[in-house]
Amino acid sequence: MLKVYASISLGLVLGQITSHAQGYAPAAAPARPVPAAAGMSAPVGGMFESNTFLEMASRAFDPSSDSMDFENGSFAWKGRTFNLTSQRAFRARFERFLLASPTEEEESYALLMNDVLQRLSVASDRSDDAIIETWEMLFRAARFDPDGGNSTIVANQVFNAWRIRKEMRGTALTQRELADMRRHQQTVVANRALMLEKLKEKKQRESVRQTSEKEGNSEHTTFPTEGAFRALELAETEAKLIAMEGQAALTGIQAKLQMQSQIVAFLVQRRYQHALLLSGFYQLLFKGSQQQLEVGKGELKSFFPNTDMVFTVDMMAFVANEAITDVNKGVDAVNTAYAEDRAIIALERLQETFFLGEYMPELNAIPVEQRRMLLDLYRDMMEAVELAEAKDYNGVAQYAERIALIAKDFPEMRVLSSVETAKSMSDMAVFAASQYRNLGDIDKARAELQQAIDIWPSNPSIREFQQETTKLATAGSQGVQIFDDLYKRGDHRGIYDRRMDLGFALAEDTERQPLLMEVIEQVSTIDLLVAQSAEALKQGDPYVAWELLAEAAKFDPDDAPMNRARAELAPRVADFVVYLDRAQRQAAEAQHAGSLAGFLAAQDIYPASRMCREGIERQSSALMAHLSTQAEAVEE
Amino acid sequence: MPPLKPAKSRRPASIWSAVSLIVSLFAVALTSGCGDNFSDLEVLPTESYMKKPSDFLGNTYTIRAQIDSQVKWEKGVGRILAVSPESGGARLPVFVPDAVGGNLHIGQRYEMRARIEAGGLIYVESLRKY
Repeated sequence: MLKVYASISLGLVLGQITSHAQGYAPAAAPARPVPAAAGMSAPVGGMFESNTFLEMASRAFDPSSDSMDFENGSFAWKGRTFNLTSQRAFRARFERFLLASPTEEEESYALLMNDVLQRLSVASDRSDDAIIETWEMLFRAARFDPDGGNSTIVANQVFNAWRIRKEMRGTALTQRELADMRRHQQTVVANRALMLEKLKEKKQRESVRQTSEKEGNSEHTTFPTEGAFRALELAETEAKLIAMEGQAALTGIQAKLQMQSQIVAFLVQRRYQHALLLSGFYQLLFKGSQQQLEVGKGELKSFFPNTDMVFTVDMMAFVANEAITDVNKGVDAVNTAYAEDRAIIALERLQETFFLGEYMPELNAIPVEQRRMLLDLYRDMMEAVELAEAKDYNGVAQYAERIALIAKDFPEMRVLSSVETAKSMSDMAVFAASQYRNLGDIDKARAELQQAIDIWPSNPSIREFQQETTKLATAGSQGVQIFDDLYKRGDHRGIYDRRMDLGFALAEDTERQPLLMEVIEQVSTIDLLVAQSAEALKQGDPYVAWELLAEAAKFDPDDAPMNRARAELAPRVADFVVYLDRAQRQAAEAQHAGSLAGFLAAQDIYPASRMCREGIERQSSALMAHLSTQAEAVEE
Repeated sequence: MPPLKPAKSRRPASIWSAVSLIVSLFAVALTSGCGDNFSDLEVLPTESYMKKPSDFLGNTYTIRAQIDSQVKWEKGVGRILAVSPESGGARLPVFVPDAVGGNLHIGQRYEMRARIEAGGLIYVESLRKY
């Protein structure tokens, strides 16, 4: 049995310590038998209660809006899905934003960007000089920190497209020259072949006439060699021309694809202004038939998950404009909610808006003081979530009260009520474990304790239970010796004070167990009588109080608390006590008449005395019996 | 303690008649003030007696008291009465043998001649109303 106690104590203590150290408790409790006695067991739904609390805490304390899914790392916005990254990274950026203050540089940057976008609109001056001037403004924008160098990327893309266009112009010139050369070479080759044919025919006629003397046909071998050389030159020119045409086409496509890729990249990265800038330049550089997106289809498919539309540059610009509008509306909503003391709503909307328009200067419309307050609220709520996950209910309650001071729309009562319920469930499980342990049902005690730990790992009652169990296990090994020593000395109070320990130690000792029970009953009766005496004294009846103490003294005249009470009371009933003591002393010496006189005198002081009445009856009977015996003896 | 008188006597009636006469004469003498055996005795010091009855063993005293209650009675033996001394103080237990007592009622006042016997018993040898 002692081993079992030690097992409960050590095993569960270690389990508890581990849970605390890791900041969480095991999610799944071992299978727990249903308690036999319903009155002493926590409800079976303890884990359900615990999970309910976690769900409640998650709802109450999680400042993230429903559109943010940190588990899947996505942020849904109007049917589009952004990659949200990890919660930790987002939290860091969000807190940085809440800590930051708007600067003049950011305001200048916002003005410049709006200016650039305005110049790229269809209604503006679209001359080459105006476009170049707009393009040069990009380098000014790139010098601002908030830009992050993205304007340079736009400028480079545009410059690249211009360079390719220029190269293509040069290529076209070369192509024309080669085409001229090809035509010339074709003419040369064609004329040379005709002339050779004619010469050949003339030679054949002359050879017929001068058959005998002429041999030499060196001219005949020379003409075919030159013709082949000219044909080779023509073939080379043809090859160059084809290669140049292919290269020009390839270079043009490459420039277009690069710009399209960058527009998609800007949109996915939520750099809406830069997406609009590049779209504007693209529309200037490429004709209307080139607006369909050829690249980034994979990214766009994940960005627009439920559509089979044909993606165009205009469409990207539309989405970017819509996002900018939504950021502005979001900022308005945050400021309104905050002004109406709806801090929780303001925080939720701010997170959405911040993620959507993290790089937008419009977020600066949120005042600094408001940001600081929302930062405090955000940090408190995140801390409360972690405490709830660690099941530190006291900490959760503290944070709930703190948050409620900041945010009027925080459901404080719901949180506190859940905390109290969870704590009560854990306490009930500890109580049930104690009961089962006392009954010796170790398996059920262990299961109940595990239940209590699962619900509330830091429950102080669990530690008390552990200490008590450890104490019992220790006392069990020494219990027999302690009991024997105390019993031998007649220290019943000492036995009574250790009754729990000794009860376990002597549970199977058939010899000592009855003695222990007798002592416990005896001391319990003394305690009861002493308590009744105290009550009688309070009611102004010291003689009754004394009689109760005298009654208690019959059980154990050496009991310290009882004697202490008697000593305190004795001065108030001194006369009564003197006669009673005298009567009792003489009764003990068989001086019945003297004893009877003492009891009568005491009864004169307290006529209702039960002790006196009984003493008188007892002593008078004894005296009469003695007299009767004497009378009979005389008669005989 | 003196032996109690046996309840029955087998002596002749003439003897008894003589004794009765003598006793009657003696009683008349007492009531007339001659030879009063109560007035010669000391009054029992009740306070001292209460403290230590054994100090008074063998002494004879007079007690003037009122009967408070009858504590015990046994036929042929006598009765134990609780009496309140005239001098005040606590009630005293006294034993009145059957032979001495007659009809004793609560509230009656008696002057008693009593001897302190073993155990501090106040043994009433005789009594009379007053």
